[in-house]
Parts: sequence; C-alpha cells; structure tokens
Amino acid sequence: MGSFDFEGREVPLEQGDSVASALYRAGVRTFTRSVKYHRRRGLYCMTGDCPNCLVNVDGEPGVRACTTEARAGQNVERESGTPSADFDLLAVADRAQRLMPVGFYYKTFIRPRFAWSVAERVIRRTTGLGRLPTDRAPRKVNARYVHSDALIVGGGAAGLAAAAAAAKRGESVVLCDEGRLGEKVAPGRTLQRIRALEAEVRGLAAVTILERHAALGIYEGPLVPLVGDDGLVRVEPGRIVVATGAVETHGVFPGNDLPGVWLGRGAARLAGVHSVRPGTRAVIVIGTSEGVEHLRMLRDAGVGVAAAVVPDGLSDLVPSGIPIVRGGSVVAAEGRKAVRAVVLDTGRGEQRIRCDTLVLSMGFAPRDALIRMGADLPVVGAGECVLPGCTLDEAVESGERAGNGQVTAARETEPVPLGRAAGYLCLCEDVAVGDLEQAWGEGWHSSEILKRYTTATMGPCQGALCGRHLASFVAEKSGGSTPAGVRTTARPPARSVRLEDLAAGVSEVIEKRTALHDRHLELGARLDWSGSWKRPFNYGDLADEYWAVRERVSLMDVGTLGKFLVGGRDAKTLLDRVYPCRIQSLAPGRARYMLALDEAGYVMDDGLVCALEAGRYYVTSTSGGADRMEAWLRNWIDRWDLHVHLVNQTPMLGAINVAGPRVRDLLSRLSDDPFDRDAIPYPGHGEITVAGVRCRAIRVGFVGELSFELHHPRSRSIELWNALLEGGADLGIRPHGLDALEILRLEKGHIYLGQDTLPDDHPTKLGLGWAVAMDKPSFIGRVALERMADIPLERKLVGLSVAGTPPQRGVPLYADGRIVGRITSCAYSGALQRAIGLGWLRAVDGEFPSILSAEETTATVVSLPFYDPEGAKVRA
Amino acid sequence: MGLKIPCPHCGPRVYTEFTFGGELHELESIDPEDDFRRVYLPDNAAGPQVERWFHAYGCRRWLTLRRDTVTNRIDGLV
Repeated sequence: MGSFDFEGREVPLEQGDSVASALYRAGVRTFTRSVKYHRRRGLYCMTGDCPNCLVNVDGEPGVRACTTEARAGQNVERESGTPSADFDLLAVADRAQRLMPVGFYYKTFIRPRFAWSVAERVIRRTTGLGRLPTDRAPRKVNARYVHSDALIVGGGAAGLAAAAAAAKRGESVVLCDEGRLGEKVAPGRTLQRIRALEAEVRGLAAVTILERHAALGIYEGPLVPLVGDDGLVRVEPGRIVVATGAVETHGVFPGNDLPGVWLGRGAARLAGVHSVRPGTRAVIVIGTSEGVEHLRMLRDAGVGVAAAVVPDGLSDLVPSGIPIVRGGSVVAAEGRKAVRAVVLDTGRGEQRIRCDTLVLSMGFAPRDALIRMGADLPVVGAGECVLPGCTLDEAVESGERAGNGQVTAARETEPVPLGRAAGYLCLCEDVAVGDLEQAWGEGWHSSEILKRYTTATMGPCQGALCGRHLASFVAEKSGGSTPAGVRTTARPPARSVRLEDLAAGVSEVIEKRTALHDRHLELGARLDWSGSWKRPFNYGDLADEYWAVRERVSLMDVGTLGKFLVGGRDAKTLLDRVYPCRIQSLAPGRARYMLALDEAGYVMDDGLVCALEAGRYYVTSTSGGADRMEAWLRNWIDRWDLHVHLVNQTPMLGAINVAGPRVRDLLSRLSDDPFDRDAIPYPGHGEITVAGVRCRAIRVGFVGELSFELHHPRSRSIELWNALLEGGADLGIRPHGLDALEILRLEKGHIYLGQDTLPDDHPTKLGLGWAVAMDKPSFIGRVALERMADIPLERKLVGLSVAGTPPQRGVPLYADGRIVGRITSCAYSGALQRAIGLGWLRAVDGEFPSILSAEETTATVVSLPFYDPEGAKVRA
Repeated sequence: MGLKIPCPHCGPRVYTEFTFGGELHELESIDPEDDFRRVYLPDNAAGPQVERWFHAYGCRRWLTLRRDTVTNRIDGLV
C-alpha cells in the first residue's frame, strides 16, 4: 500500500486509510496545538467536525486529516507548535491563562497606540495556525453547473433513501457526500443497510452521485456550491433534502480536550473501519443505545474497558464482564500530555479511574447548519439531522418521506449540560465555559455578541460542535428562552473551503478571434485585447503602416465590427425611430453615419446604416458595442411590436478595410465590377466581387483616405486577405493595426467611443450635432436633447494642436493655472508634422479657453478635422 | 445567488444567461419634464417590480417579468 512522508519519517499505509488513521497507527497522538494556549489536541470526532486534526498535506495548510484520503507519496506535516507540535515552547501560554482572559487584547494594547502594531505581529506569529504558502501559484479551478429537480446532501441511510424515493417519482436527483459513501460508518447493521441502499441508488439512471463533494452552504435560488477535488460544482436544484446526519454531543468538562478523549463514533470508526485501537484502557460514557455498540466494537478491537458509565435504562444492554457505573457523569479528565485518569461523579461521591482513553457516546446534536441556512427555501431535513439519535428504520423512513417531498418535524434536542469553568466549550478558539461566564459578566448578554466577543463558534468548525452549547449557555443565563431560540445565525461556509475554490471559474475568459487571427500571427503582428477580441496592434513598423495608408494602399482586419441585417415590413420604421439620423430619405446604395442615443439623449454607440434593396438595411456598429446594439434594437422591436427580422451577422461575416490613394489601382486588378464614384459614391456601398469573393463594399472615411470596407463570408477571409496582399505587392501594400489607426482617425478628428467620450455625452458636446436630425418628429433621446438644448454647454470635446512632444492620455489641461480639462487622445501626426489631440474642455465663466497648457507643452484649440478638412480624399 | 428565469422560449434558465434591462417604464413622453421623470426617476421598488430581461445566451429575445426585488421570487411573465 506504500507510505507517506511525515515530518521526515515514513508512515506505512493500509487499505482505506485516512491521513489521520495512518498517523494514529504510527503512534502520533498530538496532531495540533490549540490556537491560543497551545494545548495538545488529538483525534476527537473523525467526522470532519472538530478542528483537532488540521495538518499540512503537500504544502496545503488546514487540511482535515480525518476526512482526507491517505495516498502514497504524500507529504504530511503538523503545522502548529514552536518548534514542533510534540514539543511546543509556546505551551507556556497555557500556564499564563489568567493573564490572557477573553478579549484581553481589546483592552490591553490600547495605550500607547503603537503597542497594538507590535502586539499584533507577535500574536499573529504565535497563534496555533498553519502558514499559507506564499511561493506557489494558485491553481486555476473550474466551476461547473448542475441542474436537477432535487439535491440530496448526505449519502447516509436517510440520504440514499431520499434519493431513491425522489428518483422513483421521476425527478432528476443529485446526491452529494463530503466523503465516500459509508466510509465513516463502522461495519455492522447500519453499514449493511447503507450498502444495500447504495446498490439500489447506483442502479437508478436519474441519480447522479457526487462523492467527496462537500456542500458549502445554501444560497437563495436555491443554489448549493459543492467543493470537490475537481473544482466547484454549482448545483441549482428545485428542492433540497438535507441528510447530513448528527454529530455526537461534545463533552464539556476540565480536560475535555486532552488527547485520548474521543467522541464515540470517532473511536468506533478508528477501531471498526481502520482496525486501529484508540488506546488500551478506556472509560466509556454511554447515553444512547448506539453507545453500547461503540463499547462492543472497542472491546472486540482489544481495548480494555475500565468502566462504562451508563444510565439505568441502558445498563441491561452492556455485555457482562464490563464494570458499570450507573447514572454517573464525567467531572474531569486528568493528564498532562494525554488522558491518564477520569474523575466520575457516581452520585455517591467522586471516583477516579485510571485509563488512557475516554470515549463520549452521550448523545447527538443535529448537523443542521444547512437546514438553518435554507429556512425560507424548499429545504427539508431527513434522518439524524432532524431526528438525532433515531433508529436506522426511522432514518430510512424519514429519508423516503423527504424524497417524496414530505416534511419530518425536527425533534427537539435537550439543552446541553455544561460542566465546570475550565471545560473547553469551543475547541477551535480555546474558549472555556469560564470565558463565557466572564464575558457574560461584562455585559455581553446575547448569543450573537457573546460569540463575537469571545470568538466561540467562529473557528474552523463553525460551531459544528459548540454552537448548541453556546445557545444552551445563553438560554440558561437569560432564563425563559430555549436554546433553539438563541442559536446564532448559520452562514456559509458549512465546511472549510480554499479561496481558490471560491474563485473557481473567474480565470475563464472568452477570447474572440477573427478568421484572420493566424494570418496576423504569421505576419508578425503584436496581438492584444481590444474589448473581448484579440486584435493586431501593429505589425512591427508603425510608421510604415501609417504611411502605407496615407500614400499607398493598406488593409486592416475590421471583422470585429458589429454587423446586422435588418429586414421585414417595419425595418425602416424601426431604424427611423431608433436612430437620430435621416433614414426615410436614404436610398438603396447609400450609407449614412449613425449615432445611437439612449433614452437620456447620450451617445451609446455609432456606426453606419446602409440601405439595401427591398426595404432592407445593413447596419454596422463599433466592435465593442455589437452585443449591446443587438439587444437595443431587439428591445425596440419587442416594445413597439414591430414586424422586423434582425440577424446579427457579426460572427458570420468578415470585413477588411482597404484604404489609401491607390486602392482603386489594387481593386481594378482583382475585380471586374464597377466601383468608381458613380457606381459606389461616398458615402455609399455596393456589391462587388473581389478575387472571386462576393463582397459588400462600403465606402467609409474613418482613416481619412479613399477606402472600401469589404464585408464578406467569414470562411473566405483568408483567401481575400491573401489576394489583396499579393495583388498590391508592387503598390507597397502592407496591413496596418490599431496603433496606426489611432493616429489616422485622430487626424480626421474621429472619436473613439469610450476613450474620448464619457457616459453622459450628448452629440453637441462631442461636436456631432450634425449627425442628429432634430426636424424628425421622433427618435429615441429626442425629447431629452430638446430639454438639454436650453442648458448652456459646460464642457465639450475639442481638437488640440500641441507644440512639443505629445502628452499621454489623461494629462490635465490648464488655463491660467486652473485645470479646465484633460487630454483623451494625443499622437504625433506624420502628415501634419506636429502633435495633435482631442480633449475635454470645461467652460470658465461661460467661455471656453483656447490656449492651454499640458505638462511642458502648449495646446491650442483648433477646428476639426486636422487632416483633409474638405474631405476631398475620402470622396476621391 | 441562484435565480432562474422562466424564458417563454427556452424554459427556466439561470439568470447569468440574461442581460438585465432595468425596470419597465413607459414607452415615451412628449413633455420634457415627464420624459425626465420617465428616464431618470425609476421607482426602484423594494418589492414586486416589473422588469426587462434579454436572453443574451439563449434565444436572444426580450421578456418582461414580475420579480420581488427583496426575495428574488419571480411571479410570472408579464
């Protein structure tokens, strides 16, 4: 079976071992040191409920040894204790308990002020917690989504019965368990029943079983996140059955945290499942009939039983030959490193019994955190988490009821008796009963603030063991309230979880690529994010890319543009009512610049509207705005109840912009169709075949040269791109990227939405008033624009001529020493031989200043565009 | 949070497939002040609200439903 490494020594493994059972077999008794007083802690619950066995496995701190499968080659270390858990110098803290009462650091390090910063560093270093690894890259964890009619949390007898019942009703079922089915149950009748139910459930196609998936909590929806080895599973079930069972009653008395004190099921599991004796001489405190089974199991494993403390009703069940103490209770466990004796109150005085093991089978507390989280949701409980201490038949029956959607009323549990002051109520945080007494005395009279002040129930076990004890304490102190009425609020996570699991799925990104992606890479392009797309920023020679457009011919992949086909009876009505530009007069073959305004009159997006034959339109939008444009148009189709068909052709069409003074020379080599000024005027479009590829050629002016945007089927992008590059080789063609485009469009004063704009820009602020036909009777945003027309402009976007090195975007603009705006775009223009930019300007006393300074430069407000103001080139 | 939206075309789907379109308000108003209220002053109800959702990762259609913004309970399509 192999072995794992434990602090430098080999620990042999056996079939079915957990990390805890292997270590215990190898003689490890102290697993952790407690968080505050550095007291020794050993195995206690073996069910993942207590904090005593947290170890470091393969560099990961805080791993529960008892629920983690042992694997050959693992590297296991204890993580608390200086220098080691076995020999911990900080255990001196235990002797100094009286110096560190609960809440002492709230009171002690207040003056002088720096005291806390020093104390905090010391305290952080001395707490008995593991260290987070800082030298490892976090794992990228996936999240997956599962939908089902029913989710069953817990794969015990009740959970399996519920799954079978729900599946028989025709529901799809997910059943999850934090471990493997039945692994925590010692051999016997219960395990046999579980195996039989498991066989039945595994035969049901409607049930999906997720073993080793712990439910973290129940959120509204309902939504239940499960953490498994393979990441996070988000289950969204129609209803939930919680069958998480019960945890045994945590005993509170002096010495209750010594290694050698066990909860009954933990000791029975170690003996029955892993064949490891918890000790040699045990005292067993029995409060339930199951406790008698624990006793038998320990005796059969070879543990000597020094005494069984049994109530009168159960004493007949105890096998003969076992010394019985009738009706006794534990006063204290004694020992320094481990249990050496137990003091019992027999009713006739105290009796001290020597032993090395104290097993507590006193009763059960429902593991009900999930039920309490799901109070307003379709959640029902089954089995021991509603009927703690129920029989096997009752558990199965309540499971069947739950599977059929019926509720089993939760059985009231008795208040927990709390022993003497020195008993540790909360093992995680080292909070003893005396600490609660003290805090109560200081006036913290409610379970919620008592919890926050003492931190009881706030450790790794999240109150699994001690939540009921805290409530019992408060109920008793305050009088008149029941423990159930003063339980603190249950919140996720119910089980410990790695931060990387909580972040599951966030590293998943969708990278949109055009059909030409690989071609760009072959051409040496630097690709980077542009919204959700990966686009070429340059091909290595920005200046030449720029001059290719201005002086020769160039091409750019603009397949990212939003592309929509709009048809149907009401297509014209839709566009006319949505967009502020004139649509009615747009003849087939013509195109028009389009601004999209929102209902507040602010610019949302821009693009082109091309009128096709037969009342159809082809609309383009910005690359980043495509999804929103589609939703926007569909919203109005729906709300106005129009007869319009909208096809989002963004993913199915590629587009290449061919631009430059020699573009006609290039196209004439590749096309027989007419594309002169009469055939395709500016702004206009037409269908032409280029290099055998049918294209919609749209004359646009974004870069300020004669240019044709060739929209074509995406499948033929590479063919068309290659033909254009080859056909224009002797013309000096080369592709340009977004870096060159930034300068080219800036020279034309064309804005980038988002970069040059703010969310509340109406067209006039951007100098785009010409694109709005205010004489149209109605369009979206019209009323808002009318209203705003009366308000004087307080800021506007202006063109800037900059003397000197172009400052970066975002640099403030000054006038007379006051900040009056900022630069939104700036670059050196090759054609103009100077730096130019766009920027926001605020009115000063109703006037817009015209001479500004930005860093070391002087910026002068000039009219737009900078390049080819008459537009002769684009109209060529 | 888990929230399932009953899409009339696709069936119940997780809310992350949808884009929220805000509360449903009147279509239009000619009066500027009225229009201002319509656009800028939503009810922002703590309770039942009639609102728009776009099934972006599904049928790409809009739907209008009534949802309680306090409990997230959906009370049918409008």
